[in-house]
Amino acid sequence: MAVPALAGVRVVECGGMAAAAYAGKLLADMGAEVIKVEEPEGDPARRWGPFPDEGPHPERSALFLYLNQNKKGITLDLRQPRGQELLSRLVAHADVLVHNFPAPEMAARGLEYERLAAANPGLVMASISPFGLSGPHKDYKAHDINVMAAGGWVWLNGVTGRPDMAPLKPYGPQTEYQSGLAAAVAVMGALIWRLDTGRGQHIEVSGQEVVSTELEFVFPFWPYEERVPVRWGHRIVAPWDYFRCQDGWVFIICVEEHQWQRLVELMGDPEWAHWEVFGNRLLRGQNYDALKPFLDEWFAQWKVDDLYRAAQEKRIPLGPALDMPGLFASQHLQERDFFVEVDHPVAGRLSYPASPYRFLSETPAVPPGPAPTLGQHNREVYCGLLGLPEAELDNLRQEGVV
Amino acid sequence: MAEHRKGPLTGVRVVELTTAWAGPYAGQLLAHLGAESIRVESTRRLCVTRTAGPMADRVPGPDRAGYYGEYNQGKRSVQIDLSRPEGAELVKRLVAISDIVIENFAPGVVERWGLGYEDLRRVKPDIIMVSLSGHGRKGPLSHYVSYGPYLVALSGFSTMTGYPGWEQPMHVGMSYPDPNGGWHGAYAALVALWHRKRTGQGQYVDLSQWEAAVALLGDAVVAYSMTGHQPERLANRDPMMCPHGIFRCAPAQDGLPEGLLPEDRWLSIACASDAEWRALCRVIGKPEMAEDPRFATPGDRKRHEEALVPILEEVLSRQDRAYWLERLERAGVPAGPIYNLAEVYQDPHVRAREMLVEMPHPELGKVKQIGIPVKLSLTPGQMRLPPPALGEHTDQALKQFGYTEAEVGVLRKAGVIR
Repeated sequence: MAVPALAGVRVVECGGMAAAAYAGKLLADMGAEVIKVEEPEGDPARRWGPFPDEGPHPERSALFLYLNQNKKGITLDLRQPRGQELLSRLVAHADVLVHNFPAPEMAARGLEYERLAAANPGLVMASISPFGLSGPHKDYKAHDINVMAAGGWVWLNGVTGRPDMAPLKPYGPQTEYQSGLAAAVAVMGALIWRLDTGRGQHIEVSGQEVVSTELEFVFPFWPYEERVPVRWGHRIVAPWDYFRCQDGWVFIICVEEHQWQRLVELMGDPEWAHWEVFGNRLLRGQNYDALKPFLDEWFAQWKVDDLYRAAQEKRIPLGPALDMPGLFASQHLQERDFFVEVDHPVAGRLSYPASPYRFLSETPAVPPGPAPTLGQHNREVYCGLLGLPEAELDNLRQEGVV
Repeated sequence: MAEHRKGPLTGVRVVELTTAWAGPYAGQLLAHLGAESIRVESTRRLCVTRTAGPMADRVPGPDRAGYYGEYNQGKRSVQIDLSRPEGAELVKRLVAISDIVIENFAPGVVERWGLGYEDLRRVKPDIIMVSLSGHGRKGPLSHYVSYGPYLVALSGFSTMTGYPGWEQPMHVGMSYPDPNGGWHGAYAALVALWHRKRTGQGQYVDLSQWEAAVALLGDAVVAYSMTGHQPERLANRDPMMCPHGIFRCAPAQDGLPEGLLPEDRWLSIACASDAEWRALCRVIGKPEMAEDPRFATPGDRKRHEEALVPILEEVLSRQDRAYWLERLERAGVPAGPIYNLAEVYQDPHVRAREMLVEMPHPELGKVKQIGIPVKLSLTPGQMRLPPPALGEHTDQALKQFGYTEAEVGVLRKAGVIR
């Protein structure tokens, strides 16, 4: 098998939940050796779930299992000086350090770039935090929902026309995922620059900034027109909505005029579709209240799969609103080997999504492997990589450092 | 601290055969890191981002479009008729002196132009090409039409996001799979560039934006395989934290942008630890709640969520957002505003971190541009160019790869370039 692209790159990852972990996962998927440092009580993701129906278990959190595939796991208490000293030694052997401890907690965990880089000038360090490491809000405490909302995303979502209902957060720690992605991109940029210069550097990623730069065409409404989009953006064209069919829901968006014309054909060319009020995409958007009942009635006659096929044959952008059973049933994803079964010593055999660019033609991604159990690789890393005698590892355990 | 404002990808040239959002966004992320990105635009059909709103001063025009402007910063634009062999030839000349090609047309389109990976590899053997398609280029649905919001439905987001007990799928507020595809595409391009710098070998990347969106729901995929059902929809609540949600504050007094309702004022609060919870109780003037045995531990608070949340809702609605945020943030309670987009970019913190950059623009005078969301200490990069006018750099680019003034004139007269 071809050697993965990042074979030979060593990454130390610490922090909790999803941000640093997703950056680490992206690097591990491409073949980097990722050493995940957990504090002795374990990554908070181990306590978050989702869990099996029997209840919480630190080795059975689906979030943790997913994010930490193919990594080595060690425990280390970074709040103790001895823990910080061991982290420095570990980082001296690494190419990359990625963490998501918030700005005010970094120094207390020994995460000072200048000191770490003094021992390893080639170190690329990525610090992911809610608001970055500078500016008046850098020390504000925040969880994912707070950052996502402060970046302008949550404002955009919710039930259209219902200002009495609160804006709605999308599922999952999405700011953390996006911050981890941004960190992985910046780390690769810095590693490439290091090939030419030999020099590492410090990267800061602010979750608020990452979110605020990815808000689609809704963002420029303010700088360009001094307007502010509300719930579900400005859906200026129609149809652009979910509709109920006999056995589920579909989503349709007609961006181009020809897509609407083909939909009209598929609907059997009803007379109302030629009314002037529905004459172009913008008019249909303005008069959507009048249009929607006609569409509701037509969609309700269909079964989802039949309509999906019939519409896509006419190049109409329409598809099912899938849940997890629907996703697993997709023949397309199956044929692309998207779901991969992995054995884990405690959690058992489960399906995981593969990475979304599995077909790097020369350096394919590493197939999904299990996440480490808590402290699984302590001996390998401390005694192997760092060369500590076994007796010292035992001492560290007794002192609660490991 | 920065030695210079170059990005780490200075000297890397990217050719974009892109449209709409995901592809241009990937190109912009590489431009943020210092790459020279050349966007090839069709003479026959304008990109939807040049024709859809918003428009500067609400006056339509391809160089006034905000959707294009925000996601094509720092690039050069060349306008070529790709459907003609002479046009495809020009693109090949460009690719021959470039490092990375990003394309996001429907599968088969670039091949039809004679600009598929095999064609491009012949003119530049170590080229890196990233195809960002909706469904990936293999598999029975690979030819299906895809847009970002369609992938919100297809990925599972629309059934995972939303309210307990609601059957209706929900959107996520924007075409999330697009920028997410762009970031994943940029990542794959850089991994391939790393590999090429070390081995001299280029490669082709088939990226499925559908799969990249599911990658953000990996916990739900694994959970389904564990339990046979997907995690419940929780709206703004959290499986562990309580309180965790969005709360309405007293109506805003004045200064709202057009179209906003004064009562549409919200803040978010999320408490994970007992310390955060106790601080919240103090701020809202209910220290007795911190002693209430129903709310003693995180588990207790989650169990008594139905009792806890209405108390918070009532108290928080009595004062305006600024009043609460000042006190919550000072007390160390994880909280924040639900910002609308004007507020994000007027926020003093966001401003202090150079996230809104004003640049001169040939047609608009000035444009306000999104800044760079990753900050590199030695190679921070900077915005060097405003979004290009349609075809602004056609002549410059052609001359760069050896065409004479006369030849450029011939190509223009023949309609191959504009």
